[in-house]
Amino acid sequence: MIRVEGLTKFYGTVPGIQDISFNVSKGEILGFLGPNGAGKSTTMRILTGYMPATSGKVTVADHDVSRSPLEVQKLLGYLPENNPLYPEMTVRDYLDYVASLKGVRRADRKGAIDRVVDDCGLEQVAARVIGHLSKGYRQRVGLAQALVNDPPVLILDEPTSGLDPAQIIEIRNLIRGLKGSRTIILSTHILPEVNLVCDRVVIIHHGRLAAEGALDTLASDVQKDEIVRVSAIGSADSVRSRLSAVEGVQSVNAQEDGPGGEVRFDVHAERGREIRPALAAAVSDAGAQLTELHQARLTLEDLFVKIIGGEHGDGNEGNNE
Amino acid sequence: MSNIWLVSQRELASFFYSPIAYVVLGAWSLIMGVFFSGAFTNYALISMQIMRNPRAAEQLNLTPTSAILGPVFSSTTIVLLFVTPLLTMRLFSEEKKQGTMELLLTYPLRDGEMLIGKFLSALLMYALMLVLTLIYPVILSAFVEVEWPVIASGYLGMFLMGSAFLSIGLFASSLTSNQIVSAMVAFMVLLVSFILDFLSASVGETLGAVLRHLSMGIHLRNFIQGIIDTRDVIYLVNVNILCLFLAMRSLEYYKWRG
Repeated sequence: MIRVEGLTKFYGTVPGIQDISFNVSKGEILGFLGPNGAGKSTTMRILTGYMPATSGKVTVADHDVSRSPLEVQKLLGYLPENNPLYPEMTVRDYLDYVASLKGVRRADRKGAIDRVVDDCGLEQVAARVIGHLSKGYRQRVGLAQALVNDPPVLILDEPTSGLDPAQIIEIRNLIRGLKGSRTIILSTHILPEVNLVCDRVVIIHHGRLAAEGALDTLASDVQKDEIVRVSAIGSADSVRSRLSAVEGVQSVNAQEDGPGGEVRFDVHAERGREIRPALAAAVSDAGAQLTELHQARLTLEDLFVKIIGGEHGDGNEGNNE
Repeated sequence: MSNIWLVSQRELASFFYSPIAYVVLGAWSLIMGVFFSGAFTNYALISMQIMRNPRAAEQLNLTPTSAILGPVFSSTTIVLLFVTPLLTMRLFSEEKKQGTMELLLTYPLRDGEMLIGKFLSALLMYALMLVLTLIYPVILSAFVEVEWPVIASGYLGMFLMGSAFLSIGLFASSLTSNQIVSAMVAFMVLLVSFILDFLSASVGETLGAVLRHLSMGIHLRNFIQGIIDTRDVIYLVNVNILCLFLAMRSLEYYKWRG
């Protein structure tokens, strides 16, 4: 559906992004990850035809963005990072304006607006002026304007940034509800969001493609061993020696002690080996009380640090076509 | 075509959502009223003096139309120097500041359609302002015989000049995201183009002639006297087209820069 080849953008002499290539197939949700300033917004802006690229090619449904931007733009719904809206307009007037500009026919317009108002939970504020709405509602209005022409392709630039946790969950559910019918590119720097919503991720760093593939694959590629975090109340030495004796354990690293005499360890084991029941038993054998035991998952920070740190090189060329 | 009208409609609505429309229309009506009543009283005084001196009347050849509406039109151009930048300053600057420009440029809408749509909204506002002043010739016609063709020519001149002013303002607005800067740039350009006429006296003959032709104000004089000279029409229309073209380039540059 979306094909990006060798995309490069220079701001004057400063490179914004360099040689970025990836594909998104129909119906897929692609997570676009990267630290701030990595070039996520730049890439998305080029995809939407807002900004021309210095070199490289973007095609959406076989239309070249630079050659026939209008054809591409008819297929797009775009939510920019800072969610710009006209504060003086009412929600319904604004959606009507956007729907008209996007070429929704007059006869279908009311139905289209009613649908997005309903989908985005805007019933109560539809007649109100946008400038008076809360940030959560504004974000939904932003999403509604992107969806109003029922576009097959959605480009969402940090749709949950600046929202409170409850609003984040709402928006995330909304996006998940769109899954299946649409091709979606979603930029974010929140890992759970990617886990919950995306099929595949593209990680960019310093304007270059750092990694591409399914998140689990990426994480397991980076994570060489299984890490289980164990906390217990009891003697540190005996817990440690018992844990080390469990079969499959490679090393036990003491972590900072918790409150109330709690001792904490990171237990490293071979990848794919289930050692948690054995560890629990080991703790009770040591005469300590187990307070916590969980498998440590790689956070986005870890993933970033590892991928960007060069361990992963250019990333695996996971092509999901 | 429908996209142009969509953009215009939203811009027009925006004028009336914000206080700009009310302030401009209110101030405009007040100032025009003052000008008209001033010119009217002045004409009454002069005609009274002339009645005592018939020979002077022959020399002056004053008709009510040229003696009353002529000065009103000329003074109006000074007001337009201040008012047109107020109409155009927000057209692009506000969208850039709010970031809505980014969204607008990703809708299936040609740059030209957006540009013309925005220009049209300001032009319609200005046309409304001109229509409001039609009340003065109508009042005048109650007392004296009015030469309507001369008035029509005057209004055509006012419309073309205002349109050229607005295009300069639109170009200024496309250059910056700051409305005040946009208004100031437009005002300065208009002012300079206006006073070129005064400068022409103090430079050489050839350069003086060039400056005089480039000056905005000079091209209204014929219209006010009821003369539609193609040179004036071409000058004003060309300024208009040039500024719209420059605004278009500036928009492209804005997109390219990101």
